[in-house]
Amino acid sequence: MASPSIERSSVRRTSRRTGSGLKYGIAFTAPFMVLYVIFVFYPVLQATWMSLHDWDLLGATRDFIGIDNFERMLWGHDITWSMTHLAVPRLILLAGAIALLIRPLLRRRLTLGVSLGVAGILAIVVALGFHPAQGGFWFDPEFWIALQNTLLFTAISTPLIAALGLVMALALQGNRRGARIYQMVFFVPYILPVSVVTLVWTYFLSPNQGLLAALLEPLGIDPIPWLANPNTAMTAVIVTTVWWTVGFNLVLFSAGLQDVDPALYEAASLDGAGPWRKFVNITLPGIKHVVLLVMVMQVIASFQVFGQVNIMTGGGPGTSTLVLIQHVYEAGFRDFELGYGSAVSLFLFAVMLVVSVIQMRTLGKDDSK
Amino acid sequence: MSTQTMVMTTPGAKTRPRVRRSTATTAWYHLAMVIASLVWLIPMLWMLSLSLSDNKALTKETQTLIPQGFTLENLLGVFSVGLTSRWFLNSAIVSILTTVLTVLLCAMAGYAFAKFTFRGKTIVYASVLAGLMIPKEAMFIPLFTMIGDVSMHNTYAALILPRIAAPLGVFLMTQFFSQVPAEVEEAARIDGAGPWRTFFSVMLPLARPSMIALAIFTFVQTWNDYLWPLVSATKSEMFTITTGLASLQGNFAQATELGSLMARGLIGSLPLLLVFIFFQKHLIRGISMASGSK
Repeated sequence: MASPSIERSSVRRTSRRTGSGLKYGIAFTAPFMVLYVIFVFYPVLQATWMSLHDWDLLGATRDFIGIDNFERMLWGHDITWSMTHLAVPRLILLAGAIALLIRPLLRRRLTLGVSLGVAGILAIVVALGFHPAQGGFWFDPEFWIALQNTLLFTAISTPLIAALGLVMALALQGNRRGARIYQMVFFVPYILPVSVVTLVWTYFLSPNQGLLAALLEPLGIDPIPWLANPNTAMTAVIVTTVWWTVGFNLVLFSAGLQDVDPALYEAASLDGAGPWRKFVNITLPGIKHVVLLVMVMQVIASFQVFGQVNIMTGGGPGTSTLVLIQHVYEAGFRDFELGYGSAVSLFLFAVMLVVSVIQMRTLGKDDSK
Repeated sequence: MSTQTMVMTTPGAKTRPRVRRSTATTAWYHLAMVIASLVWLIPMLWMLSLSLSDNKALTKETQTLIPQGFTLENLLGVFSVGLTSRWFLNSAIVSILTTVLTVLLCAMAGYAFAKFTFRGKTIVYASVLAGLMIPKEAMFIPLFTMIGDVSMHNTYAALILPRIAAPLGVFLMTQFFSQVPAEVEEAARIDGAGPWRTFFSVMLPLARPSMIALAIFTFVQTWNDYLWPLVSATKSEMFTITTGLASLQGNFAQATELGSLMARGLIGSLPLLLVFIFFQKHLIRGISMASGSK
């Protein structure tokens, strides 16, 4: 008599628990998930849908045009392919692909990640051979300029910010007296809103009113119209960005340096290693994952650079600081072409996706070690 | 976590270098660091100096770190002229509500993902993590039309709601809650607490350090957000302080009032400077958490 009733009640209890698990699981996650689906997931689908349309800002036209927007973004009139076009950057990329292959080939172990990476680089090398023939043109030359500027911004600012952040973190390493205050000083620009950063720097760099011109004058340097000159505008934006964001990376590096085992340094000192050898053989391997993290985060952030550019230069002078998000913004809110803007957004999304996957693979692998 | 590292580093690293380094090296080190710090601070010191200067004097001379015709007028006048106080209020409302809601909803979802078993949990959680790869900055056009379709531009809801759904927050809270031992929950259940009571009176207090770090980080990010308020709020009364200040910079009339412009920038950064001064540790913890390195 007793056993069936026990059985039944235990059955009932487990079924109730999983049932309530679902009930409470939904109750606890629903508020977040509803907003998440509406404001994060749905926009991607909507962007894809819009990118296939001629979709204007005011909603007057919404005509399905297939992949025309993508053709306009990536193609042109009378495009040809040649071996020699953009030879230098392509050779550099090719060298990079070979460098990536050397170690796996020597060890005779080629991972899927490396193969995909190399295949990707080779695809870019091939793609860079396309260019308009004589009399031909890109349908949207500004897209290529924006892409080029974004890549330039990323390629210069990322190593600069990472290196400077690391140098600062090293200088503040080891609980010296006052290190905390110095860290605060270098970090504080990071918390300023972008409009305040640009406000200060636009005037700071101004040739007539700016402090920089006054500081450079005793050195015999004439005032430079940093933001008005197409040759220096990007430099000015990069310098501003470095000043603004390096503190963030300083914090990350400082945290990473704390995790390096101090016993390793002592052992190295006993072996007679100098500061440089210690840095190369202990510090760098010890913070490898932080270096990677900083680089990837910087690349992702740099590809989405907008605020500084929009406020300081508006993409100009000319197109010298036009970046991808600025191009999306102008396509949408200046030219009222939301469909085309969405197509460029999706291009950016694809790039982000590749970088994120690389990040997850490399950082995830590092954690498991 | 922080106490652990402190305990670990204190005996070795903290005392040793101070004994070893000579006074001369230390002096040179501090001299170099003070110079570097000053160089780093110059733009901000200059901003402070300009905001303390008389606007008329600034039409003649701006290239000095010493305030021209020292006055507090600019700083005191920030809230009386123009829309700055409205923008400040908008920023405060948007940032505070966003922060509170983000932390609460992320904690709830994180708790469910970490502690409940229900069908489809893995897929749902994986889809949240996938959201980490979606570039927020790039998706403003579909978001813009969506909000437009329901005529919600120039509302607080439009400024707040899209920011709350932060997959990173859920990820962090899930990580935190999965480290809480099962015994804690069992004890609460034996005491007769249901899931809601357990969450609010046991789990949330436990998660306070993580939540504060997430809150500070969210607050700073929201206050500084530029692109979304720029496209969503088109009426100047609905600008946040960040977009409002940016709009002033395009306005050339303001060039004659450089002092008050800089004062506005200073006041607009003030909440963040205060947060930074009082919650420095939490902010730095938030950064380490957000980057997933800790």
